[in-house]
Formats: sequence, C-alpha cells, structure tokens
Amino acid sequence: MNKENCPITVAFVGNPNCGKTTLFNAFTGAKLKVANWPGVTVERVEGETSYEGHPIRVIDTPGVYSLTSYTIEEIVTRKCIEEENIDVIINVVDASSMERNLYLTMQLLELKKPVILALNMMDIVEERGMEIDLHRLPEMLGHIPVVPVSARRRTGLDVLMHAVVHHYEEGPQGVVVRYAPQLETKIGQVEAALRNRYGNMDNLRWHAIKMLEYDEEVYKDHPLNLTGIVDYSYEKDIINEKYNYIEEVVAECLFNKEKQAAMTDRIDQFLTHPLWGIPIFLGIMALVFFLTFTVGDYLKGYFETGLEYFSEGFLAGLQAMGVSPWLISLLVDGIVAGVGGILTFLPNIFILFLALAFLEDSGYMARVAYVMNETMSRVGLSGKAFLPMLLGFGCTVPAVMATRALATERDRRRTILITPFMSCSARLPIYVLFAQMFFGKHALLVAYSLYLIGLLAAIGIAYVVHKIGGSQQEDGLLIELPEYKTPNARTVAIYVWEKVEDYLTKAGTTIFVASIVLWFVLNMGPGGIVEEVSQSFAAMIGRCLVPVLKPAGLGSWQIGVALISGLSAKEVVVSSFSVLYGISNINSGAGMTELSHILSLQGFGPVNAYALMVFCLMYTPCVAAIGTIKRETKSLSWTGGMVLFQLAAAWIMAVIVFQVGSLVF
Amino acid sequence: MKLNEGEIGKNYVVTGVLAEKRVARRLEALGVNQQTPVIILNKKGSGSLIIKVRGTRLALGRQIAEGIAVKEAKK
Repeated sequence: MNKENCPITVAFVGNPNCGKTTLFNAFTGAKLKVANWPGVTVERVEGETSYEGHPIRVIDTPGVYSLTSYTIEEIVTRKCIEEENIDVIINVVDASSMERNLYLTMQLLELKKPVILALNMMDIVEERGMEIDLHRLPEMLGHIPVVPVSARRRTGLDVLMHAVVHHYEEGPQGVVVRYAPQLETKIGQVEAALRNRYGNMDNLRWHAIKMLEYDEEVYKDHPLNLTGIVDYSYEKDIINEKYNYIEEVVAECLFNKEKQAAMTDRIDQFLTHPLWGIPIFLGIMALVFFLTFTVGDYLKGYFETGLEYFSEGFLAGLQAMGVSPWLISLLVDGIVAGVGGILTFLPNIFILFLALAFLEDSGYMARVAYVMNETMSRVGLSGKAFLPMLLGFGCTVPAVMATRALATERDRRRTILITPFMSCSARLPIYVLFAQMFFGKHALLVAYSLYLIGLLAAIGIAYVVHKIGGSQQEDGLLIELPEYKTPNARTVAIYVWEKVEDYLTKAGTTIFVASIVLWFVLNMGPGGIVEEVSQSFAAMIGRCLVPVLKPAGLGSWQIGVALISGLSAKEVVVSSFSVLYGISNINSGAGMTELSHILSLQGFGPVNAYALMVFCLMYTPCVAAIGTIKRETKSLSWTGGMVLFQLAAAWIMAVIVFQVGSLVF
Repeated sequence: MKLNEGEIGKNYVVTGVLAEKRVARRLEALGVNQQTPVIILNKKGSGSLIIKVRGTRLALGRQIAEGIAVKEAKK
C-alpha cells in the first residue's frame, strides 16, 4: 500500500440515534458527545484515522431521516454529501429498526456514490433473538458491502475500514428501487431533458427523481422547464414505493422480529403513564439530586483533607522560602482559596453528570418530551422543547445549542429564554454551600426546592410570554423514542470525563483568573495597597449595589462583589466568598462554620441565604452562556434584553422571598 | 377515524396523512404512510400518544395525531 495516497474521505450518514457518533468516536478516538435524542450533532465534524497505511478523513453528519431539505440537519447533511469530495458514504443503519433506517439507504443508493452499509447495533439484534440474512441483504441493495458492526462493543470496525479501503471506487450496481411503470416513464423523460440541457451527469437518476419530488435545491442548481412532463409532485408515490420495496427487503432478510421487543413496551407502561409519568419524572430527578448531594458529600471529605494539607504545606513552603507576604497572600488567599475551594465540589459535579449520563444513555430522556408534552403545550411549546431544558441541568451552553432541533425560530428563542432558569451544575456549589451552612438537616430539601423553583419559573415565564405573544396552542410533538438499553460503560465514561475535564479547565482558567482579579481589587484601593479591605476598589464597587440589593436581604458590599464576579462563572460566587472572607477551605466543616459565623454577625440568616440562592438561580447566566446565546440567536439586542430581563426576574424573586420570608420566620 | 381516537393496544392501518404539508412529509419520511400498520402503545387524555410503526416508536402530539386517518386492522 502506498502511504502517499490521497486520504480517502468517508462520511457517516444515518438516521438520528443510530450510532453514527459512537462509530465516529471509535474510529477517530475523538470524544464527541453521544446522546440519544435527535439534534445532538448539529454540525458536521471531522476527524482522521488510517487503515493499512491509507489515511482516511472521516466526517460525522447530523442524523437525518431523509435527503430532503426541510430541517437544518437535512440541509447540513445533504450539502456535505453533495458538495464535498466524499469518496464513500458509510450509511450507518440501526439494525434493530431496519424498516425505517433503510428509507435513507434507498435515497443514498440513488445518489450512485459508493455506499457501504454499516449494520450497527447487531448486539441488540442478537439480544432480541432476531436474525438478519447477511447474504440476501446486499443482493437486494445493489451489491454494496454490508458490514455488521457494534459501535458499543467496538466489533466489526476493522472489517468496515477494510471495505472502505477496497470499495471506495465502486458505486451500487444497477437500479435498486424500480418504480411503477408510469413513474419510470416520467423519470426517463426528465433524465432526457436533463441530458439535453446539462450533458451527461453521473447521478442523472437521482436528479430526475428529486425533480419529480419538486425538490427546490435541485431546481436551484439545475433550472429546468419541465412543463408537460412533471405536472405535480410525485413525492408521495416515490416515498410509498420506496417503503414498499423496503418491506420486501425486510420480509426476506429479517427474522424473528417482534419476538422480544416487549421489554421496552412494558417499561413504558410505567414511565410514560398518563397519570404517573410526571411524578415519576420528578421522582427520578429528585433521586439524581439526592445522589449528587449524599454520595458527593461522602466523597468530598477526601478532597477537603487533600486541599487542607496542600494549603498548609504550600503556605509553610512559601514562608520558608522567604516569599514576600503580599505574594503569599495572593497565592494562598487568592488562588488556592478560590480555585481549591471550587475543586472540592468536584465529587458532587461528578455524581450529577454520572446520573445524567445514565438517564441519557438508557433512553429515558426522549420519553420526558412525551411526558411533559401537555405541560409544555399549555405554555405554547412542544414537549421537544423540554429536552434542551433538561440538558440545562448540566450546562446552559450545550442546552442552548440543542434548541436547534426545534422547528421554528420563535420556539427556539422562547426556549433559549427559559433554559438558563434550569439550575446548571455551576450553581450546584452555591446550593451545596449555603444550604448546608444555613439549613443543616434540611439542606437537601432546600437544594431540591431551588431546582423546582427554577423549573417552575421557566414554565411560568414561558406561559407569560405565550400569553403576551398571543400565539395559539400547538401540539406538534413528533419525536422518535429509542428502545431502552443498559447504559454503556464507555459512553457514560466519555460523557462524564468530558464534563469533569470542562470543570477542571474552568477551575484552571476562568476561576483562576477571577480569583486573581478579585484578590487585586480587594487589596488595592485608589491609593495603592490597602490595609483595610473596606477601603478597596472591590468595596467601592460593592457598596454601589448595596441599596439595590438591600430589599432582597443581600445588602452587603461583599455579596455585591460576589454576584458581579459570578458573571464570569457561577461557581465564582462561592470562590469569591472564600477570597472575600479569607477562608481557606470553604467547603469543609470548619470553613462553613467560620463563614456562617461571619455572615451571622452581619445579620445574614437562613432567609437571606435562601434569597441569595434564588438570586443566583435566576440571574443572568455566565459569560460563556451569554456568548452562546448571542451566537445562536444572532441578535445582540435580544440577548441584551434577555440579560436585563433575567436580572430583573432574579431581583424581584429574591425580594419576594426575603420580604415574605422575613414576615413568616 | 383519526389516530387520536384510537385505543391503546389496538392495531390500525393508516388510510391517509392529512396533516399540514410540512408535517405530512416528515411523517411520510418517518414511515407513516398509507397502508402502514400502526399500534397505539400509549395515550394520554389530551390526545398525545405513542405509536409503534415500522419497528420504531414515535411520540406524537394531539395535533399531529389528528392529521393521521386510520382504520382498524383486521386481525
């Protein structure tokens, strides 16, 4: 084999949730996020691999059901395979639902490009006792290579690449789907007209069929007057005939189909029950947060001890080296306290994402769209809009990006507006810290209540916007529900590791810088280094906010400073408290006692703490999220409006909580 | 009859997709077509339901379910 060969370009194309991204990751070693609802991959992604010395360029495309151009995913995928120099298309097919997956295959075969069929999820097929005739199947699909693989178990991957390297120049043989005679006549006529106008094209039949379907893109690229030949859209007939052929294929190649698919149906009787569906969902989320808090806290102890040793040793080392006191203060009180304090929350974050990964990979998440559909349609959104909101429990940034899966721009913006109210993982440290400091035994309940308030606020705001906007009630939910499966350890591990990595990166960058900046504004004043923090720049800035925050029970300059710094990342609210009050290990028992003691002296009690948590829950998300929202909405004024709205909402809610709370308690 | 009038656990055959054009095409691409057999797996009072069609499960809102005409399948 010649290593100087041009790389072979391979595109993974397939239905949503058929395992394209898992396969792509298996080949390229990339760690792209895999999730089983549509819209996770919304842009094409590229990677590289090689086989037997052949360099191979791999492209992952968004999942599509067909090669029309009605959704963003379809447009991206179609552009990719039509315009790029793709040598071979790997059509990833979920073998456990062949009937529907083969519809896309039929269209790809019409393109006449080399296609290799990767029959994925063969393990599930076997588990269910089904059998596929691997000899007959390629015969019925124009003799293209058909390779059984399991992306989950990483089997068949070499065979697939072998097929790529050896078959990348061969397209499907013959015509796979023969349409009814009158349709075939039309196809022939359009082909002739095309040949007359544009000469010989390599995928004449594909263009002709697309023209009979009234496909706009094809007419745009190859304008052609077809009056007299094409008098209406034959799309319906073409689809029907493709499916008829697929039925033949399935009847001949697939055995024992219905035998063991009953498991998912049985589980669904409970999880998507008309009455119990929502309580079960809330229960599952409660369990997730319960685990996050209890198991996370159990593991946390080790981190704290570690941090304590490090902090003490570091301080002793610096003093022994005779480092000047101000630098020691910057390093220990600023960086170690700020960054280290955040690191001790890692176990909680880890458990949260582990639980979310389990839910996603099991197939439950898509069900939530169905379960919440009525609630969401009452506020003018489809149940599908609930999926980005769920992602928001992890991080607002991917959640906002996932709104691309929604049908209209209006739905997208409304969903983007409410997604930040879902408590992201960055807000978790705030809840953990303040709930434990001020609510002791009830900490867990208090933290869960914040998640619920966020959820209710989101739905409430969507309702108000819906009423003001005067839009009509719609119930256009249309979503595929995957089969339940045991979560795959590898998928879960990749997902969790990616999140942990993000968290560590954030601690090392945003929070690191924020802690340094904070230390400086705390130790510098208009006249240089200050002895008393109340003379510092930070205090001056914070004091401006005191009158505004006072009605919410947050009237101290330190809280003002913490909230402003929290805009860089919400965890920074916590690290700010460490730096502001010089607490070295804020998440430990001693650190909490110290901080709650200082705060109590300022008259800051449980009601204030709750108001603070509500404010943190609702106020403007971090800079990264705002940036993403600006990019996704492509509107600076809309984004600006949203920021102001969220600030106002946070203030109003915090004031209500504090004022009512003060009266009651 | 319309799909949303169907009962849980019963078999139906699609007689026509009458929904708005964009939705109809999407349904057709998903395999909900004339002559397609469907089973209603789950249904809520409001009319949204889960159906099994061509080997997969689809969750449909009431509005979409209303646009699918079906008749009971002969067993």
